[in-house]
Amino acid sequence: MHDAVGLQITWNRLISVVDEAATGLVRTAYSSVVRDFHDYCCALFDQDANMLAHSTKTTAGFLGIVPEVMRHFVQAIAREEMRPGDVYITNDPWLASGHLLDIAAATPVFYDARLIGFALCIVHHYDMGGRLATTESKSLYEEGLKLPILKLYDAGVPQNHIFQILRANVRMPDRIAGDLRAQIASNNIAAAGLERLMADADLADLRDVGRKIVARTERSLRRKIAALPDGIYRNEATLPLIGGLTEPIEIRVALEIAGDEIVIDYEGSSGEVDAALNITLNMTRSYSVYPIKLALDPGIPNNEGFLRPVTVKAPAGSLLNCRPPAATWGRTIVAHNFPEIIFGALAQAAPDRVIAACGSTPLAAMYLSGQRQDGRNFLGLIAHLGGFGGRAHSDGPHCLGFPYNVANIPIEVTEADAPIVYTAKELIPDSGGPGESRGGLGQRVQFRVAEGDHAAKGKLTAAIRGSGRHPDSAFPVTGRFGGGPGRGDHLTLNGTEIPHGVQHRLGPGEEISVGMPGGGGFGNPLDRDPARVAADVAAGYVSTTGARADYGVVLKPATGGVDQAQTDNERQRRRTDA
Amino acid sequence: MWLRFGVDIGGTFTDVVCLNDKTGVAQIDKVLTTVEEPQNGVMAGLASLAERGARLDRAAEFAHATTLVTNLILEGKGGPTALITTAGFTDLIEIGREYRYDVYDLDIELPAPVISRPLRFGVPERVAYDGAVLTPLDEAAVRALAAPLRAGGVRAVAVAFLHAYANPDHERRVGDLLAELLPDVAVSLSHEVHPEPKEYERISTTALDAHVKPVVRRYLTDLVARLSAAGVGCEMSVMLSNGGAASVETVTRYPIQIIESGPAAGVEAAAFHARRLGLDPCLSFDMGGTTAKLCLIRDGVAARSKQFETNRVHRFKSGSGLPVAVPVFDLIEIGAGGGSIARLNDLGLLQIGPDSAGSEPGPACYGRGGVAPTITDADLTLGLLDAASFLGGSLALDPEAARGAIDRDVARPLDLSPEAAALGIHNLVNETMASAARVYCAEQGEAPMNLTLIAFGGAGPVHAVGLARRLGCRRVVVPPFPGVMSAFGLLVADRAFERRGAFRAVLDAEGFAAAVARARELEATARAHLPEEDGAVATWHAELRHVGQDYPLELRFSDGAGGVEALQAAFAGAYRRLYGRVDDDNAIEFASLRVQVTLPSAKPEAAVLPARRGAPYTSRPAVLGDTEAAIDVPVYRREDLGAGQGIAGPAIVEERESTTVLGTGDSLRVDPGGALLIEIGSVSVQPEDATRPEEYVDA
Repeated sequence: MHDAVGLQITWNRLISVVDEAATGLVRTAYSSVVRDFHDYCCALFDQDANMLAHSTKTTAGFLGIVPEVMRHFVQAIAREEMRPGDVYITNDPWLASGHLLDIAAATPVFYDARLIGFALCIVHHYDMGGRLATTESKSLYEEGLKLPILKLYDAGVPQNHIFQILRANVRMPDRIAGDLRAQIASNNIAAAGLERLMADADLADLRDVGRKIVARTERSLRRKIAALPDGIYRNEATLPLIGGLTEPIEIRVALEIAGDEIVIDYEGSSGEVDAALNITLNMTRSYSVYPIKLALDPGIPNNEGFLRPVTVKAPAGSLLNCRPPAATWGRTIVAHNFPEIIFGALAQAAPDRVIAACGSTPLAAMYLSGQRQDGRNFLGLIAHLGGFGGRAHSDGPHCLGFPYNVANIPIEVTEADAPIVYTAKELIPDSGGPGESRGGLGQRVQFRVAEGDHAAKGKLTAAIRGSGRHPDSAFPVTGRFGGGPGRGDHLTLNGTEIPHGVQHRLGPGEEISVGMPGGGGFGNPLDRDPARVAADVAAGYVSTTGARADYGVVLKPATGGVDQAQTDNERQRRRTDA
Repeated sequence: MWLRFGVDIGGTFTDVVCLNDKTGVAQIDKVLTTVEEPQNGVMAGLASLAERGARLDRAAEFAHATTLVTNLILEGKGGPTALITTAGFTDLIEIGREYRYDVYDLDIELPAPVISRPLRFGVPERVAYDGAVLTPLDEAAVRALAAPLRAGGVRAVAVAFLHAYANPDHERRVGDLLAELLPDVAVSLSHEVHPEPKEYERISTTALDAHVKPVVRRYLTDLVARLSAAGVGCEMSVMLSNGGAASVETVTRYPIQIIESGPAAGVEAAAFHARRLGLDPCLSFDMGGTTAKLCLIRDGVAARSKQFETNRVHRFKSGSGLPVAVPVFDLIEIGAGGGSIARLNDLGLLQIGPDSAGSEPGPACYGRGGVAPTITDADLTLGLLDAASFLGGSLALDPEAARGAIDRDVARPLDLSPEAAALGIHNLVNETMASAARVYCAEQGEAPMNLTLIAFGGAGPVHAVGLARRLGCRRVVVPPFPGVMSAFGLLVADRAFERRGAFRAVLDAEGFAAAVARARELEATARAHLPEEDGAVATWHAELRHVGQDYPLELRFSDGAGGVEALQAAFAGAYRRLYGRVDDDNAIEFASLRVQVTLPSAKPEAAVLPARRGAPYTSRPAVLGDTEAAIDVPVYRREDLGAGQGIAGPAIVEERESTTVLGTGDSLRVDPGGALLIEIGSVSVQPEDATRPEEYVDA
């Protein structure tokens, strides 16, 4: 059969096998981090540890990591030692995905008694012991249990002492062990699917198919890169002070396009910090290649091929390529900003391929823990998201995550699990950054600690990462090409501002309010069609005052329609002033 | 009174079927759907049948399915609708789940909510997850809404409060107040529409229910009046999205439940044939112009789900639509129909769909302006379809246009012959469907190789044997009337209704007793929606999961001794079957309950075919995929075939709305009731056990 058909058929099968495995994982997982945050990935490899397929649902943070993880496993364990029924695990941040909470589990796949490949599943677990969620740790040793590369199953025999050590170190052992078992089941599903595929397609091994898949993917991305003007494009950002930091974090990027390759170099960025914000190079790579794929070739499949034309560099020992035993728990607080910073550089070469900053960057999450009145522990990980950035041809959607991808956890589910009562969750009008394309709106979320019959036993521990990206700060939710910043961020306890990312102890009736800003605007707001501004006012996204102040659009009080003469005057005056 | 009428309004055609209980003879017509006043198309189709002797005054049964609800939502034509919700939460309907359904699309768009901000109102009230009232309902605030609701010209109101499934008092009170203040406005209460937690899905469903309610009510009332005037003396029933038919009164109260009535009727028909022919398990395979739909049927019962999406921004991307939490058949829809377009993608590989040329402009061979090569063009180029007899000859196909389109867009860039390219397209679409089917079967815990395919829709019987071979299925059935299966399905459905209820308790003696009590309540509510006749049967179903998990499994249960142990064992068995393991150390809990009440209806007897042997009326060269070379294949007319007749492949069987293709080594036998039973000669997959590989158990 011609490659264009035969290869495509085998490729589709590989993706359906890995999606089948992901389905099994999600359905049996205990953690809402898997179910609702999609903070997992399943992947298939050939016997040389080349990644051939990656689950469709995942978080972007794994894209650059997964191939490296598998290579580390095969470096640590000789192929001759591998047996059917083996399972290897690790959560070493430098070998796997950058913090202890992620356990990578790999299963070798055999066909006709020969090793033909691997199934890998990485899951972000609720807890790995240690201080739980906080940026305050100064070294990895405070952050919990580290598992070097271990055989969890040896030829089908469970190594119970590993389970025992794990269970003894975590707050909710049943859930953590349940999720780990779900990972292994998911690998088994992938292995069975791979074996069926080998039989159906009459393949001896995956090498040849893998080589072709990777080559075609690589060629596609190289073509897209080659179409861009060569040059070195730079951008930099100063992040807001977080947690115990005394100096702000600086990120500098030089994005070099040379022919059909891209080099992303973070030389000049901050060094390691005494806070749980350090990033392993694996993680830096993931959030650096993702924006390239998004902007240049979003349709290509996830495999080794799309990583090859892009090189990511950061000096060893710097914040973006940290060394043990740096603390890493909150690495995404920094790393989630990379795509936006890279877009700022890429915008100079490909202006219509990038979006304005998102109010949801970086992930702002609330970690709640404590004891319920019945004595059960609860652990809540909750995210509410700001607005998406404006795009070249359309407004940003409201309340949507970037670059990670999480779903919110329903209020009704959270309230049944954790002793809190939400008092509001609403869009914030005028929070979308003004632009020819408006940023999506952000939201205000409020909750109070439950009282009376529903109260917790003792106080509730809350670590809250809001946005901190205020329009007047050093790191606003920036617009692009004349668009204004997203607005609406705040974080208060009982009405008083509190710092982000540190733990608070809350008693019954205490109330937290978080404002997640809107996305940045794209293009000059004075160029936005006044009719679209009027429609935004009618829809309640923009106030009448905002229409005038942000867009120079004056509406007729009676009808809400555009007062064209006054609008022309107002816009003319603004342009002249500028 | 011996005629049964089924009317299925689809996007393009309105299908009418009349089955004569005395003779077993069916009469069928297809008329164009009249979108603005769908009643007109219905009456036109019925008039056409009446001319052929199917008199409406002899109707013993009249059953209906329609796309009306989907269309109203798609076009936002339900009229101004308001939402009343807990103060502080009026935007939940728009904020949604905050999830990017496509993580690689920077231009991602989300569907607009059916109710916009100016018509969303918050009132002070609050209930906790356990039903305790934290803030009493502010009735004055509700009364104060009468003026803005009137001013907004609102015709329907959705009421959805947080945790209303745990304590519906506040919603009920608002319902009463609205009835008093705005008696002409339709009201939907969330605890009635979908009494379960997860507020976004419940609010969205309630809003959609309210939005369509006034129009559905008017439409059904008008249709019933016109049918009555035309002589129909029996009650009309309407198909629900999970099969089963309900009264006009019930449907008017819960109109969102008919959103998938047409596809559900097709699945009902497939399940009917599965039961009649004693085949188990089966996969219903409906391949039309734009999509292929698959649904698993086990023990004669179709797989079900409680979640559906409408108004998707991208039709085949889950998460891109508005959630509708109603009981539905668990169908998967794949972008693979006769009109799906073939092209080379950026990687230089062949890609099919998901976009479709549909029926307008249609495949290149339709000669209606379509230029892109489609599945139908490939099938025609391979000789599987006949240019002259397609749709009974009413649409002459242009083989040269088909060949030319394939040659230009696929064959030449790949340096292939048009036939080889067409075969590639045909095989790839079969694999696309097979891949989707494998993931779907995995979700259902069923091994594909055990399934019998029940193929219908225009393209289903053309691709069924190829799909079966890829899945490793041994058997394919092509039932009678594959082009109007949904209308036929209306005639074989039972009267049924179900009620769900949130119910959370650990599965122990105490929890089980509480579940039994709750199931009795739900059963009483469900029974009230069925005619007061003897013979209605209730089944109880519990959703169970390990404490801490989210995805439950549904299992049947009943009252009686050993109930707890039986349910625990059933859960463990189902869990192991799906996931290959059991989490013994984690307790099992109830997540919700469902009670279904069914009033079985008498099933039509199909006419028995005469015993005769139909001969091929012609033969033509066709590429069947065993080789890339064409071979001469005998072609039969389906109406010539007789009961018990056997045909050895290769063969082609043509009928007005479809074509059945058999490969070399496949064999066909004609069931006396008219179904074509096909045994697959060689499959590409070895049969195997359905269960997952055992997980190694940790202590």
